[in-house]
Amino acid sequence: MERRAARGCFNRRDFLRLSGFAAAAPIFDVKLPRGLDFTLQNSPTSQKYLIETMPGGVALFDYNNDGLLDMFFVNGGRLASPMALPEQFDRSNPRYWNRLYRQNKDGSFTDVTKSAGLANAGASNYGMGVAVGDYDNDGYPDLFITNYGRNILYRNNGDGTFTDVTTKAGVAGGGWSESAGFFDFDNDGHLDLFVTRYMEWDTQHSKTCGGAWRTYCPPGEFPRTTNLLYRNRGDGTFEDVSEKSGIAAKKGRGLGVSFADYDNDGFTDIFVANDGIQQYLFHNNGNGTFTECGLESGAALTADGQPLSGMGTVFQDYDNDGMPDILVTALPRQIYGLYHNDGQGQFSSHSLESGLGVLTAGSAGWGVGLEDLDNDGWKDLLVAQSHVLDNVEAIDHSLHYLELPLLALNHNGRFEPADSGITSPIAGRGLAFGDLNNDGWIDAVITVLGGPPVVLMNRGGNQHWLTITLRGTRSNRDGLGARVRVNGQTRYATTAGSYLSANDKRLHFGLGSAKTASIEITWPSGIRQALSDVRADQFLEVREPEHS
Amino acid sequence: MIFAIFTLSLFLQSVSSEGSQHMQAGIKAHQEGHFEEAISEFRKATQSDPNLVQAFLDLGEEYSRMHEYSAAIPPLKRAVELSPDLDEAQQQLGYALLSAGFTEEAIPHLERVHAVEALGVAQMEVGRYQEAIANFSAALEKRPNDPDLLYYLGRSAGMLSKRAIDALVQAYPDSARSHQAMAENYFVLRQMPQAEHEFQDALRQRPDIPRVHLELGLVYAGSSQWDKAEQEFRAECKLQPGSAEASYRLGDALLQEGKVREARTELERANRLRPDMPETLYALGKAASLEGAFDPAEKAWTRLLEVEKEGSLAAQAHFGLAGIYRKQGKPEKAAAEMQEFQRLQSANSARESAPR
Repeated sequence: MERRAARGCFNRRDFLRLSGFAAAAPIFDVKLPRGLDFTLQNSPTSQKYLIETMPGGVALFDYNNDGLLDMFFVNGGRLASPMALPEQFDRSNPRYWNRLYRQNKDGSFTDVTKSAGLANAGASNYGMGVAVGDYDNDGYPDLFITNYGRNILYRNNGDGTFTDVTTKAGVAGGGWSESAGFFDFDNDGHLDLFVTRYMEWDTQHSKTCGGAWRTYCPPGEFPRTTNLLYRNRGDGTFEDVSEKSGIAAKKGRGLGVSFADYDNDGFTDIFVANDGIQQYLFHNNGNGTFTECGLESGAALTADGQPLSGMGTVFQDYDNDGMPDILVTALPRQIYGLYHNDGQGQFSSHSLESGLGVLTAGSAGWGVGLEDLDNDGWKDLLVAQSHVLDNVEAIDHSLHYLELPLLALNHNGRFEPADSGITSPIAGRGLAFGDLNNDGWIDAVITVLGGPPVVLMNRGGNQHWLTITLRGTRSNRDGLGARVRVNGQTRYATTAGSYLSANDKRLHFGLGSAKTASIEITWPSGIRQALSDVRADQFLEVREPEHS
Repeated sequence: MIFAIFTLSLFLQSVSSEGSQHMQAGIKAHQEGHFEEAISEFRKATQSDPNLVQAFLDLGEEYSRMHEYSAAIPPLKRAVELSPDLDEAQQQLGYALLSAGFTEEAIPHLERVHAVEALGVAQMEVGRYQEAIANFSAALEKRPNDPDLLYYLGRSAGMLSKRAIDALVQAYPDSARSHQAMAENYFVLRQMPQAEHEFQDALRQRPDIPRVHLELGLVYAGSSQWDKAEQEFRAECKLQPGSAEASYRLGDALLQEGKVREARTELERANRLRPDMPETLYALGKAASLEGAFDPAEKAWTRLLEVEKEGSLAAQAHFGLAGIYRKQGKPEKAAAEMQEFQRLQSANSARESAPR
């Protein structure tokens, strides 16, 4: 950092001084809890295999239903330079395992990967991301792991162990999968599965770019590919409906995925963050098919009609107007895309008005979330950042491979920079949110290429809050896809979004000074439910009524 | 041409019968593409008639045609010696000397026949850049888009600029102008930290030099440091309130910062200072659109499309118009604009990926 400052570049201290936030206390304490010893092994090589710079996901979920969030990390794998056929990534070596950490009552973590049956990630798989959802509605969250290679569905047995049910379920996919998410697209009460895929690429057809700089090639050098949609039959198996649904009709370069019912027609829609081409908004037609309408709806390109290098995405209402908006992280010189939902199925770019022009034009963003981090009733922005190219400084002095995460607090729809508490730049990738210590303040975990994760424990404050757990009866058990309004704020129930990662399924609302809350829930089944005078500062489980 | 000149020269000179035979044989060999034989015949003609100008000229030309300039020079010199007023000989000798690298020696011959293009090249080679620029400019008036002429003019101007800057830096190394010049050089080389440092040094000494704030602002804009860019553009606007470029840059920086109202006011000012600059019109339309002022946005973008029908700004204007028509509930107009946007995008992509 000092070296860069001496060259006259913009650094964190400048940023804070100019923004006037220097004196404000950081939102988070940066900690590495005892027992959390994961290192994300991406194994960079001189071959500049693109997969090296893309992992890895993190999930915050309570796998054993003890009320404490646990952590799951997806690991990369070992890469030889060059890779031989058949591709082997040494995943049986513990160094390259995915890892499950169970949270203990004292806030420390215990690695339970082996006993949980999650040690074997498949020798021919290089890990990418994770999705969490209770696909069999048994009350225990299941795991779906995306890979360069074969994807894996782990069924949670409810006894602390998982079983690989990929083959039976029929969700192995193939190629290069990235982010995934569970959602119920046909509102039948069973969670379906969407998987983004990046491009047609393999180690034998890799190449380098940048001439003398020798670096990773941009995605345009490789052919586009299709995303995957699996319909849950409800019997432990899935049907690949990618073609039938119309999803496969649009080839792209998918990285992130997020879900919300943007046009309020009762069916969950899909947003796919594509790298270097237009973004895709798949409108759910309600009959098992989707129509891609990104261009027509105004959510495909920047305000200037340019494509974004879309990476992470979140689909939540940032300005409290009741309609879900879309945020997409991207590369430097692009400004992260913020597509405001104008209603009537239309979006417009609000990147500049919201302040993202100043905050993001020099950064590359991956994992992202809109979460109320200061409990003031407005969803704030946290982004894991770092350039794709590990030698970008040599190419452009004003850019940096390692970056500080972006924390921006939301003041009536405009984002202002704030101090996250992180003092050293990192190669951030995955990002997941959840209340790790159940104090009513949202925490976060960022994965770091080649290093340990960064755990951000919210320092808390005096504002009130409410955290809701949905218990579906006619809808899927976790109520994913429900629209929940609390004191004028709206959240769409989902564990998906960000980049390669899965968030706590609980819905968190900052209430500011309010000591009570009014709640309106629209369940995926269509049932509407209202609760009033709900006491603040509590974890509330809301059960879906059998009838409206 | 050789034949015509030969006929004319025969009329003017007394030529021996042997010399005449060799000349005719040389011309015939040349016409049949037997150049070595033509050279041999012309040489014999010069030997049989040592004062026959045309034989020396044809021999030199034949060598030049075969790119043997060193061999061409002696007969051409003899031709000039025999007939100093023969422009053809002067020109051919000038070309041969220039081609063989005897640039200084070539210049008087080229000057004599006003061969401005070759003379410009020669003057450029010997460092007489101002004269070279004048000659290239004169030649460009007759052939405005000649790529060679444009190249040589640009190169001469660049070299003249470099010489002046070198002299400046050598004579006054710590002056504000030296720092400005160094900064501009770094900027071109995209060495932005160094450029920033030099611009700041220049401003420390003379904060009132025109364009330095503007250029420093561009350094900051290039790395998306919009708040710093705004500060510099604002300083430039204060220094040069009549500069449309400074005003446009300030408006654009404000727009990037999301200060939409301020941006729109500044961009309107830029458009008054220099009306119909496409960049200003685009940014003005965008600022108005972001403010929800759809009519002014439509007006700015429509005007832009009158000024510039093709290219990326035109595509962006169509995209912007599609957006405001959608918001205004005019789906047909929006679809038409989107169609134009996509057409121009495809054309622009094809242009960018076309082999060169």
